[in-house]
Amino acid sequence: MTTLNRIRRKPKVALKYRIPRLLVTLGLSLIAIIYAFPLVWMTISGLKTNQQIFREPFALPKTWDFSIWVDAWVVGNIGQYALNSAITTGSAVIVILFAGSAAAFAFSRYQFRGRGALMGLLSLGLLLPLQSYFIAQSTMFNALYITNTRFALIIPYIAMGLPLATYLLTVYLKALPDELFEAARMEGANDFTIYRLVAMPLLKPGLATVGIFSALSSWNEFLLALLYIQDDALKTIPTGLLAFSSRYVTDYGLLFAALTIVTLPMIIIYIAFNKQIVEGITAGSLK
Amino acid sequence: MKATKPWVPYLFIAPALAFFIFAVLIPMVATAGFSFTNWNGFGDFTFVGFANYIELTTDDIFAKSFQNVFLYIVLTLVLEVMVGLGLAGLISVQKSGSLWFRVALFAPVMLPMVVVAVLWSFIYNPDFGLVNGVLTSLGLEDLTRIWLGDPDTALLAISVVSGWVFSGFFMVIFYSAIQQVPSELSEAARLDGAGEWRIFWSVKIPFIRNAIEVGVLLCVTGAFQGFDLFFVLTNGGPFNATEIPTTLLVRTVFRNADVGYGSAMAVVLTVVILLVGWMFIRIRKWSEKKELRA
Repeated sequence: MTTLNRIRRKPKVALKYRIPRLLVTLGLSLIAIIYAFPLVWMTISGLKTNQQIFREPFALPKTWDFSIWVDAWVVGNIGQYALNSAITTGSAVIVILFAGSAAAFAFSRYQFRGRGALMGLLSLGLLLPLQSYFIAQSTMFNALYITNTRFALIIPYIAMGLPLATYLLTVYLKALPDELFEAARMEGANDFTIYRLVAMPLLKPGLATVGIFSALSSWNEFLLALLYIQDDALKTIPTGLLAFSSRYVTDYGLLFAALTIVTLPMIIIYIAFNKQIVEGITAGSLK
Repeated sequence: MKATKPWVPYLFIAPALAFFIFAVLIPMVATAGFSFTNWNGFGDFTFVGFANYIELTTDDIFAKSFQNVFLYIVLTLVLEVMVGLGLAGLISVQKSGSLWFRVALFAPVMLPMVVVAVLWSFIYNPDFGLVNGVLTSLGLEDLTRIWLGDPDTALLAISVVSGWVFSGFFMVIFYSAIQQVPSELSEAARLDGAGEWRIFWSVKIPFIRNAIEVGVLLCVTGAFQGFDLFFVLTNGGPFNATEIPTTLLVRTVFRNADVGYGSAMAVVLTVVILLVGWMFIRIRKWSEKKELRA
């Protein structure tokens, strides 16, 4: 009797776990389809004519003609906008990594007068919203003739990225044992050599995380780009795409294609770097 | 470690500090200064004391913008944080959060908000948009409407876009927190006969309370600073139904050249955001203390 019960109960228990699991998997797949649907619809619509988009919004395109992507790239000037974004983001990230790691090196490795106060000052940047300073920043940049140059974006992106970069890199550096640095000092290395040859190589994982995080926020920044850059030749992807979409308001196929072109690389980047990106974004937000 | 020269540490900090002081601190102090003037962006100005702030107290649109942003906060707390938490719970049951699932949910976070906004302006398009299209094919023509042009639905429509973008983001944050839950805890609960739902509510959620609190703070402060979606989708319209402090602020300063008045708005908004952050820290300290005593 007892053995019989045991035999009977066993598959029952297993089933009890398996059915919800299966349901969860089904539910998750459904959710994934719903989330991905707008992006799939965007890609497909980009391959249709206006007429098709209006008549049969859910149908697949009649022909799979990807040459419209080339048209969108050329007509939409996306190459230029992407280049501008790359220059702006690249310059900002390089400065953030060097200036941030240097400051983090000093904060984590030296005792000096005003250390706490200076750290506190820089940490203010973790709390202050953009709205607290961008009005006067724009008048300042106007007065200094920085507006409508690449510096109008590079400088604020650096200033906005540095507080978090410095904070995270300080945490990374503090975790390293003191002996590493003392040993280099015994060998007669000066402060800059220690920063360059001891701290920087050990910081590589931290720099990757901080770099990805700052790159994403610079690449996607919109408000300052909208206010400071009027010259179309200098616009970055967000503002450039907006200008494009107001110039070709009704050419939906072309606009969908343009959206697809700027979306695909981001998805590929996510698949390639998803570990660093998730780490960067969670570290960046859980500051 | 001791520096070879006393000025060395300052030299290391100087570049970072220079950028920060030049592009953030000085402008912040200057913005606060502008708020006490009637400056119009060029030419002379006079100090007007607190006149701008007094005017703000009777500005209906400014009040409306705060009312809207509070509503937006409530909606996004549900659509971003709660949905994100639910999704994290689901993938933690399944254990292997497959790459494709994460790509589908996280891809929107990667995109520039402008791209998201332009895409959703098409999704809400009354003529060929996805939303009305789906409703029509389900036989629900009565529910179709001009989502972004209707004062009753515009704010909700924008909140849904926010949810589409950020629920994946909060899912990632909560999922990485759930992974820290010791497996013995959920195993013990399972042995006691608890189902997955019960384990999620009574074991996992209490364990990741910290992450949830941070998520709420991020959602609230992020909502106050929202701009991109609102600017592209509605720019405050229709009839100020989606006016939030930032869109109003940008229009006041950069369209109407009312720099002094706009700066006063900026100061009020900044104080509110900092106050929310400060209250959050206080509440957290207080509850930690209570926990220690218990």
